[in-house]
Amino acid sequence: MEDDWLPPGFDAAKLAQAQRALEAVLGAGKVFFEGLDRSGYRDKFAIEEGRHLPAGAVGPTTVEEVQAVMRIANQYRLPVWPISRGKNLGYGGSAPLLSGSVVMDLSGMKKIEFDEEFGTVLLEPGVGFYDLYDFIQKNNLPYWLSTPGNSWGSVIGNALDRGVGYTPYGENTKNLCGLEVVLPTGEVVRTGMGAFSDAPTWGAYPFGFGPGWDQMFVQSNFGIVTKANMWLMPEPESLIGMDVEFDRPEDLKAMVDTIGPLRRERVLQQSPSIGNWLRAAAVATTRGEWTDKPGALDDGVIDAIRKRFGLGWWGVSLRLYGREEVNKAAYKVLEDAMKAIDPLVIKPTTWVKGQPMEYSGWTGTPITFPMQNVNWYGGRGGHIGFSPIIPQSGTAALAQFQRTYARYREYGMDYQGSFAFGERHLVNVNAMLFNKDDPAMMGRIDPFFRQLVADAKAQGYGEYRTHLDYMDLVADSYDWGGGALRKLNETVKDALDPNGILAPGKSGIWPKGQGRRA
Amino acid sequence: MKRVLVAALLLAGGAAIAQGPPPAPKPTTLSSRPGASGGEALYLEHCASCHAPNGMGTGLLGRRVQPALLEARDNLPAAYVTVAVRQGIGNMPAIPRGEVSDDELRQIAEYLAAGPHPAASGAAQ
Repeated sequence: MEDDWLPPGFDAAKLAQAQRALEAVLGAGKVFFEGLDRSGYRDKFAIEEGRHLPAGAVGPTTVEEVQAVMRIANQYRLPVWPISRGKNLGYGGSAPLLSGSVVMDLSGMKKIEFDEEFGTVLLEPGVGFYDLYDFIQKNNLPYWLSTPGNSWGSVIGNALDRGVGYTPYGENTKNLCGLEVVLPTGEVVRTGMGAFSDAPTWGAYPFGFGPGWDQMFVQSNFGIVTKANMWLMPEPESLIGMDVEFDRPEDLKAMVDTIGPLRRERVLQQSPSIGNWLRAAAVATTRGEWTDKPGALDDGVIDAIRKRFGLGWWGVSLRLYGREEVNKAAYKVLEDAMKAIDPLVIKPTTWVKGQPMEYSGWTGTPITFPMQNVNWYGGRGGHIGFSPIIPQSGTAALAQFQRTYARYREYGMDYQGSFAFGERHLVNVNAMLFNKDDPAMMGRIDPFFRQLVADAKAQGYGEYRTHLDYMDLVADSYDWGGGALRKLNETVKDALDPNGILAPGKSGIWPKGQGRRA
Repeated sequence: MKRVLVAALLLAGGAAIAQGPPPAPKPTTLSSRPGASGGEALYLEHCASCHAPNGMGTGLLGRRVQPALLEARDNLPAAYVTVAVRQGIGNMPAIPRGEVSDDELRQIAEYLAAGPHPAASGAAQ
């Protein structure tokens, strides 16, 4: 409908009133309610265009302005959807879950406070990986970031959605150390040592005294994070490792069972990610160069692509960070372990401080080129990810791959999959690359996704992160105790956000009277 | 039978490319060009992550237009840049006003319209 973007219960006149109230506290230059603004904050990778339509946006640049917006939102019962920089592509980008929400765009909050001695940074949500990298370069600071494959986005936004990088500091959410949060009713709270006035240790000790709340504000709709401390990795003396390729799909089992113990033992301190041939190839080429046949690629085409680019069926990079002598000893352990499982190729890499550096994710360099994979099918591309958490077991990983690969073929989609190590788990990231100019393909995405969720559920595997379209579906799969966790989340939501105006539906958490609680 | 590959492998950010591009250049950011100001500085802050060497935008544009670097182009009218940024184009999402203001976009568009810029040839340094 023409006015699908109006907030629930609003007509145009009421929205105009709210807009004027927002302009009164922010100034007209930070309030965006024109048609182009509504289209500009939509999800570029949307599977269905008519969903997640914003009513407009605001761009507060101070915590006081964030508070002022929340007071007005409460007054008008106006739903607000905060974004750090809105680059969460594949998960909804800058779009709100609930149509009619006003996007709170925090990309103008870009302050950086850097403790050069301890490598802690106090960041606002608009600071992107490129901004922080630039700050480090400009000031010649001996620290590395841990960047995701699309580094266009916000550093703390990534941590708040449990994004990962590839260095030993790659589980970014674990490097949060105390937050400043505006609660839905407009009050400000600081967590950890930030709750202690003038403590010099806000960025040093994450827990403070009593309950630790940082993770309560991760993937939630309980508050708006306006500052976060994070730890950065000191630049290592050396970086040694190897890029390894394997020939057969079945090699996945041995790869997981060999790398897993080394990760758990912490010989490997970074979290490797095993990826299939398409993860590499989709960046470098397009499908149309190889075939015009619909449906999933056949083995002949896959072999030809692999041959051209010299790819295994699976590839993995292992890296060691720190003192050179320690790394050299650990490398021998890695080399022996990998040689024992018959790889196609092992390519060693070595760097010591002072040598020219590899500008890649392994050195925490921000990058965007991996997103070239959205052009795999040609046309206006996009992707969403299906990413269940599975046990760190070769048998489990191989079974999960075989089950998922069969589904990709059944639905006529090209398989891009990876298995990213945590310390005790694997994240099985399945990228669904698609072409928005192919209506038949787009019609398959939703049933395909729901099938994968159901398949995983049958194994006891739940997603760690998901697109706006599937937040209820995934939240429902966390069903132990009759949905006890959902009930707790709803109790917290109702207590902190009595008017139900902050990011309704985020992570499947709906306020009383809205969504499935209506 | 398994074979040993001799191709060089470049892995970056979880993506592996063998026999692909040469080693990636250092990212181009504001500190790469300390003298940059006005539209050039804003371009470096807001656009270079994708539109400098090794960026997603440069990689995808390079498949169908040369030069792929926007700063090296002599055919980017300011009005075209403005529309492309605000509406998105191809695989590029729209850049909304909360991220880049109308005044900032005007400066970026005028900078690109005045191209080509010699800085582009040194962007990968």
